[in-house]
Amino acid sequence: MKNFKFILYMLFFLTLSLGGCSNNKKYSVQNLDPFEKINRTIFTFNKYIDRKIVIPITTTYVETVPNAARKSITNHLNWMGLPNTIANSTMQLDLENTILASAKFMLNGLTLGFYDFDNGETDIEKKDFGSTLAKYNVPEGPFLMIPILGPKMTRDFSGFILDRQNITTFSSNNINDINLIEIPVNIIDKRGQLLNSIDKIYNSADPYSKMKSYYIQNRRKQVYSEKYHDTDNKNKDEEFEKLLQ
Amino acid sequence: MKSFYNKLRIKNIFFYSFILQISTCLFLGYALADNLEKSNSVIQEVISKAKKHAIESAELDPIERSSKIKLLIKQYINLNFMAKATTGSFWKKGTFIQKERYKAALLNQIVNTVEDHLNTLSTLNYRTIDSEKRGTKLVYIKGKIEDPNKNQPSVNLLWKLGKTTKGSFLVLDLEIEGISLVSSHKAETMSILRKNKGDFQILLNKYNIKK
Repeated sequence: MKNFKFILYMLFFLTLSLGGCSNNKKYSVQNLDPFEKINRTIFTFNKYIDRKIVIPITTTYVETVPNAARKSITNHLNWMGLPNTIANSTMQLDLENTILASAKFMLNGLTLGFYDFDNGETDIEKKDFGSTLAKYNVPEGPFLMIPILGPKMTRDFSGFILDRQNITTFSSNNINDINLIEIPVNIIDKRGQLLNSIDKIYNSADPYSKMKSYYIQNRRKQVYSEKYHDTDNKNKDEEFEKLLQ
Repeated sequence: MKSFYNKLRIKNIFFYSFILQISTCLFLGYALADNLEKSNSVIQEVISKAKKHAIESAELDPIERSSKIKLLIKQYINLNFMAKATTGSFWKKGTFIQKERYKAALLNQIVNTVEDHLNTLSTLNYRTIDSEKRGTKLVYIKGKIEDPNKNQPSVNLLWKLGKTTKGSFLVLDLEIEGISLVSSHKAETMSILRKNKGDFQILLNKYNIKK
């Protein structure tokens, strides 16, 4: 176990230093892929696993489990992620999100999160350690394709490792066991929600580039503020106006 | 007498400059409001026609349905702009025929995407949240697609419209929950073109295989 923790910490610092070395800007242009060749190989591997294992399980899950039950499972998984959001919102000094997430965690805790009492009405931003690192200007680093887990920016991958580490450090063995079950269930649940969208990506002319572009745009939307998006749109505006001439 | 004359001229200058300022403000305000109004009506038209089409074309055969959607989309998007924006500096390398074939392939992709979501769209509601004029030729319109039964989460949309030489507005890009149609398509095409030294034929072949 000690060795495992040591490896996790080493991975965290390695990914952080990788991010720092490769890119000293807070965010960069689209070309962030120095490991493209390896990433493409891993993407092919992930696609194979997805087609052979994940899709059949997900399809069976979607077809056999009723919609209401699937919604309850999604609610429960979201509820399980709330302590992480609370911790990271606190670290990011986002008081409103901390209070809202804490209230939701306590309220939905009455049903272990299987029922969402406010029916998704409360606007809570999902925060992880990757977004906390972004808040404190840690560069996003190169794009990585992780086996089984899929696309991640280096900073977000190091944040992901630390988020997992927090759960195992601060919780009991029983929670750890639940957490081990939660990961594959989460993969199946998320894949079930994106069943058609990911198939569309696979059928595109260059699925790897499309997946990377979708991931980076979506992640930047989650992590950065309105100010970043405004600057990004201003740059695009100039480009668009030139093309319109 | 001279000072009186000077006073009169200064008064005139003030008066005319005031009038000029007021009329400029009025004209700009009118033009701005006009542009926003025009862009808003384009989006409202697109949504209402798409919804109407979804209901009416349910019984049509797939080929006829696609051709109708194609006609509808062609009316409202600036395909020439999208083709240029998604191929970047490689656009100049293509021949006229290759460019036309690329535009057709791009249109087909958009039609396919719209077709996939058309049936869902007919049961959802669209509402405009905000509109903003950007620069001299662009207008952004923020909107939201909502499920009246609240079974699905709402989806945020950002339409980017550009003014044509004729003064009308056409859709240049659409961002769905922050993911831009042009940017994602550009990432895909640029990656293929870069690898193949800007060879449009290889890009077109890839699109035809995946069609």
